[in-house]
Amino acid sequence: MKPLQPTLRNRFRYVAFTISSEGFVRKRDLRAEVFRAAKSLFGDIGLGKLRLKLVTFDGTKGLVRCHYEHVIELQAILASIGKIENNRICVTVLGASGTIKAAIEKYLQIDEKIRRIISSCVTVPVSGKAVRMRGKEIDIIPEDREIIDRADVHFIGITIDDNERLI
Amino acid sequence: MPDYIDISVHALPEGADSPNRLDLVARSLGFAGIGLTAHSPYWSQLAEQDAISGIEIVAHSVRDLRKKISHFRDSATILSVHGGDERINRAACSDERVDLLMHPEKGERSGLNQVTAKIAEKNGVALGFSLSYFWKKEGFERSRILALQHQNVALCQKFAVPVIITTDAFSHYDLRAPSQLLALAQLLNLEKTETTAALSDTPRSIIKRREQSWEAY
Repeated sequence: MKPLQPTLRNRFRYVAFTISSEGFVRKRDLRAEVFRAAKSLFGDIGLGKLRLKLVTFDGTKGLVRCHYEHVIELQAILASIGKIENNRICVTVLGASGTIKAAIEKYLQIDEKIRRIISSCVTVPVSGKAVRMRGKEIDIIPEDREIIDRADVHFIGITIDDNERLI
Repeated sequence: MPDYIDISVHALPEGADSPNRLDLVARSLGFAGIGLTAHSPYWSQLAEQDAISGIEIVAHSVRDLRKKISHFRDSATILSVHGGDERINRAACSDERVDLLMHPEKGERSGLNQVTAKIAEKNGVALGFSLSYFWKKEGFERSRILALQHQNVALCQKFAVPVIITTDAFSHYDLRAPSQLLALAQLLNLEKTETTAALSDTPRSIIKRREQSWEAY
C-alpha cells in the first residue's frame, strides 16, 4: 500500500516527562497506568482521539506521544496518576515537541541524580531510620506510622538542611 | 511567566514532608513559593517557620468557628476555613477576616448557593478548589465530587467570587507542576485566564492584603 502523503498524516506532539516515585516503576506498568488514567478521565472516545503511545521510558524519564491538539488533555492525564502498584508516584511534564529527536534534545538531556541507599538512625525532625538519599533529598521510615498512614505514603521526606548530621 | 504559588500545602507534623523538602520540590516544579497551611489541631508546632504560614480552621459549629477566627487571625498570614458543612461555609463566607474557604463541596452536597456566593464576593472571601481528587479518588466517587465542583465553579463565575486552585498536598507526591494544574483546572470549566489568576494573582493578592494590613497596624 502506498504510504500517506506527509500533509495527510496525523500530526503529533511528543511530551517529555520525569517521574518521582517511592519504588521502581516498570515500563509496562507505567503504560498500563497511563492508559487506565486516560480511559477513566476521558472515556473510550476521548482515548481514541488522543492517539496515545508511550514512546520511551527508562525508569525516571520518558516520552509520550499524543495528537497535536490534545496536549492539555495529556497533561491532565499525567497529573491524575497518583499510584502504581501501591507505590506513590508523581509524573511531571517537562515540555512538548513536534519530533522525538527535538523532544529528547530539548528536555531529556538531564543528569540523572543517583539515589544512594543509606542506613542511619535519626531523631530530627522525626525519629526513624533514614533509608535513601538523592541530591539534597532524604527519605525516612519513621517509627510512628501515624503520619505516613494519614498522607498515604511510605516515607517521610526531609532535606539535608533539616538534619545536617546526615551529610 | 507569572509567579505561581500554591497556598494550601500541609507539612510535618501533619503531612509527611518537612517544609524544606516541599519547598525544594515545588521550586523544581516551577512554583515561585508555597504557603504552608496546617489544620488547626496541628497548628502550634508550625508557628516558627519563616515560609508563608497559614491555618486551615476545622470547626464543628459556627460559634466554634468564630472563636477560632478571632484566636488565629493575628498569628497566621493566610486564614482558611475547612469547608464542607453548609452552616460553616456560610459563616466563613460572611466573615471578612477569612481569606479562603477550602473545598466547600466536601460534604454531601455542593455546600454553596447563590446567597453564600454573593456574601463571599462582598466580603472578599476566595473559594479554594482542591485538585487532589483527580489522583486521590477514582470512579463514581470522583465523578460525584467533580460534578459538585463544576456547579461551584459556575456559581463563582456568575457572582465574580475569587477562585483559587491548590493541590491540598500532604506529601511531595501530591505536588504537580503548574502547567499540569492549569490543565486539570480547565477540566473544571475554568477559562484559561481564570486558571492562571487562580494559581498566581489571587493567592498573591491575599498575601499582599494581609501584609498591608499588618503594616497599617
